[in-house]
Amino acid sequence: MNRYSRRSVLRLGGASAAGILLAACGKQAGVEENNNIRAVGVVPEAEGLSNVEVTDIVLLRTAASLEYNAIDTYDAALGLGVFTGAFAAAGDIAQRLRDDHRGHAAAINGLISQLGGEPFTCGNPRLNEIYIAPALALITDADNENPALDVVVLAHALENLAAQTYQSVVTLLTDKALRQAAMGIGQDEARHAAVLAQALNPGLAGVLASIDATTNKPNVAAVPGAFGPLTPISVTVGPLNADGTRNTLMLETPSLNSLAYPDVTCA
Amino acid sequence: MTRPAAITPPTKADRELLGFANAAEFAARDLYAIAAASAAFTNDEKTVLVGFHNHHRAAAQALAGMAGSVATNEPAAAVLDIFRSRLSGSNKNAIFEALRELENTLASTHLSLVGTLDGTGAAALVASIVNTEARQAATLALLGARSLNDALTNGAAPLSLEAGS
Repeated sequence: MNRYSRRSVLRLGGASAAGILLAACGKQAGVEENNNIRAVGVVPEAEGLSNVEVTDIVLLRTAASLEYNAIDTYDAALGLGVFTGAFAAAGDIAQRLRDDHRGHAAAINGLISQLGGEPFTCGNPRLNEIYIAPALALITDADNENPALDVVVLAHALENLAAQTYQSVVTLLTDKALRQAAMGIGQDEARHAAVLAQALNPGLAGVLASIDATTNKPNVAAVPGAFGPLTPISVTVGPLNADGTRNTLMLETPSLNSLAYPDVTCA
Repeated sequence: MTRPAAITPPTKADRELLGFANAAEFAARDLYAIAAASAAFTNDEKTVLVGFHNHHRAAAQALAGMAGSVATNEPAAAVLDIFRSRLSGSNKNAIFEALRELENTLASTHLSLVGTLDGTGAAALVASIVNTEARQAATLALLGARSLNDALTNGAAPLSLEAGS
């Protein structure tokens, strides 16, 4: 006669199945621990975001990086050899503005050093990648009919971007003296933008905000409004596309993904 | 990642400073009204002067919004006295130069406020006004046939707090 009843066999079987299931969920001998979601095959180790903080030093390093973006852009523009004839005066202005940016970069890096931070001595890599390199590629395209004009358009946009950036960090900097120092440079950038706006749209008609009657787009203005704007800046440069339009880039002030954190380096 | 702090409202001391700036901006508005009425300028030039007049009025009104009851909404007599006598005559470049100095003086004044105000909302507003007044100063230098250096630099001293009353 069988020693086990039908009921006890079922009970033993259920307990065994639960044990096997629990064992499968637990640690297994010979399997390396990692933070990845369980998956079949070999996957790279997950890398979390570094624990970064938006400090006064980070904001100033970002400002310094923009100064180097401007310096590099003016150097590239001057190196193109396009400032001749009607654009010779623009070449003189470009040299002056480039030199101003060198002074700004030195001043900002001086503040960073005073705060115990590491100076930032190259262009912002993120802004370079998404704005400046694509714009310069369009400007230097062999089919572009007016690279000299487009260089001034790009410089005007970068000056506006710099002015906006200094204006926007006023609310983020914790030290009031740094806010004043930043905006002191910001007003220089605003002057740069106004001078370049007059180069692009000269005379009285280019001073205040206006709309192009043909395109219904805003004309370049030296003083576009009663308050410094913090809006995206459109830059239309390069050769005509097949459909008769030209490429437009939208520039925005540095955000959390383009700040010069301590682990962002110039190497 | 630590996010930036929230915008903070003006303190009582901030509102006093914003009231001072409000009066200075209304004085600038009135000085542009005087200049725009001058027979020295063409209609196109007057359009620009009226545009700058309107910018100062907008700045004064925005500052009043931040200053609250402290704002007098009256032009600062001391600022009017400094510049009014230089806005007469037929030499338009001399008038442009006086207005450029006015813009640079206001930009320097507001810049000093940016370094003094505790509330970040007020500091942001004043910074945006600095941006525009710097552009206006540069433009007036170009319209008045000044040098590039004059357009790009600001050597003006800020107004003292007493000048705002």
